[in-house]
Amino acid sequence: MAGGGFRLLHLVRPFLSVLPEVQSADRRVPFKEKMLYTGIALFVFLVCSQLPLYGIHSATGSDPFYWLRVILASNRGTCMELGITPIVTSGLIVQLLHGSKIIEVDNSVKEDRALLTGAQKLLGVLITIGEAVAYVLSGMYGDVRDLGAGNAILIIVQLFFAGIIVICLDELLQKGYGLGSGISLFIATNICENIVWKAFSPTTINAGRGAEFEGAIIALFHLLITRTDKVRALKEAFYRQNLPNVTNLLATVLVFLIVIYFQGFKVVLPVRSKSARGQQGSYPIKLFYTSNMPIILQSALVSNLYFISQLLYKRYPTFFLVNLLGKWQEHEYSTSGQLIPVGGLVYYLSAPTSLADIAVHPFHALFYITFMLTACALFSKTWIEVSGSSARDVAKQLKEQQMVIPGHRESNLQKELNRYIPTAAAFGGMCIGALTVVADFMGAIGSGTGILLAVTIIYQYFEMYEKEKASEAGMFGFFG
Amino acid sequence: MPPKGSSSQASSLVRRGSGAATAAPPAGTLASRPSGGAKGPRRRSGYGGAVSSSLMRFYTDDAPGLKISPTVVLVMSVAFIGFVTLLHVFGKLYAYRKGA
Repeated sequence: MAGGGFRLLHLVRPFLSVLPEVQSADRRVPFKEKMLYTGIALFVFLVCSQLPLYGIHSATGSDPFYWLRVILASNRGTCMELGITPIVTSGLIVQLLHGSKIIEVDNSVKEDRALLTGAQKLLGVLITIGEAVAYVLSGMYGDVRDLGAGNAILIIVQLFFAGIIVICLDELLQKGYGLGSGISLFIATNICENIVWKAFSPTTINAGRGAEFEGAIIALFHLLITRTDKVRALKEAFYRQNLPNVTNLLATVLVFLIVIYFQGFKVVLPVRSKSARGQQGSYPIKLFYTSNMPIILQSALVSNLYFISQLLYKRYPTFFLVNLLGKWQEHEYSTSGQLIPVGGLVYYLSAPTSLADIAVHPFHALFYITFMLTACALFSKTWIEVSGSSARDVAKQLKEQQMVIPGHRESNLQKELNRYIPTAAAFGGMCIGALTVVADFMGAIGSGTGILLAVTIIYQYFEMYEKEKASEAGMFGFFG
Repeated sequence: MPPKGSSSQASSLVRRGSGAATAAPPAGTLASRPSGGAKGPRRRSGYGGAVSSSLMRFYTDDAPGLKISPTVVLVMSVAFIGFVTLLHVFGKLYAYRKGA
């Protein structure tokens, strides 16, 4: 045991008593109540992500975190500015520290696990404060001198409390009062909200061809009714470039279905208990073994690269190395001043905007595909090691439960699992990457990453719902 | 996921094994199995848990701290929303008065 690691973890203890901690459910929470809690948490999240922060002067101009917002469920200029960033960041950090054995944790000791959880939460709170202060001081809401000290402090306080609330809500859901976890719920909600908005938004925009509706479906009907030339109207509704069109919407639905279809792919290993005769189980290894983790990691990496490159380009637009990393420009249709990459490394890492774009820049598309597939496969393989779900760990767990694969010796367990797990991880990661690319190429609403995340999360929820219903039925069967 | 297995004991194992494994990826299921399952008041997914969910599941263990009940959390969040809304309202009023 590394003494240093233990001391590191024990440093957390004095702070634990001030961290809010949701009580665990001391009874079985009925399904309906779970739905209620989940619904309320969702409602709070939705309200917070629409409620603007008080005291900000401006939230316009290029947004360096634009690409991160999808995976972090954050909304600019609102109380959910930070979204789940603190939780995810602290979780990843602790996971990495733990996975790389920098902090030694004995999982069989309850106190250790509690300390690890506490450390994660403490880190989350600290990151919330740090980010809130950094956002305000960096002038994201207008110059601090314009804001005034009072307002600046108020903004920090608001962001801080919003962060605490997100942490508490997430904990509330995870402690058995709700379904799933707050994080996945919030990510999925954010993306779905985006998709629904793009489909049905009643906002009108005038881009020189008269007022147009932003929502794809609404625009379709509007164009069909108002235009005299119905064929032209249909064409416009399906292919307009500057706003979400019906093709995008159909692509989104298609990607949705494809992902759900692939979710069902799995290899089922039969396992048998050694201690209790006749107990048989199955151990499914899914094609999407690591689920959406590869994309989360990949987009976290790319978004950070974007962020750094954008900052550098703004400061030193002529420096050769900076240009090699990335050149940025405003999009021609954009009204928000959002910068997009137009050159350098980050350009090749960004998704082509349309099929036409692929035809014009085939090399860009090729590079992007290669990068996505490789990155996702690699991240997926790394993740099983870090998260403790590699063949070795699974074999150990099966052994602890005295489970064996019939027809194989116990010592062969790991070898047998090794035939499937790394392949499933790498290939599954690659498939996820490929699906993201396909979604991007078809111009699905809310970026390929977003959709993939949303679908995998919704699918997890669906499974959870089924399981919950099954267990409820099981309970009734047992008592009645 | 239909429970398969003939005896009740077997079916419970199978259900937990397969049903949970699909919801949260395999590792977590098996890790949480020895903790007693239905007996325990809370279902811990445990460390090493679930591949995808290991990012998604953080606070599953009890940590010492200020214990608050779920109702408090909800009240707290509603109070926060109310507070920010009030700030906006007072901000508007103040600006209006200053302008007048």
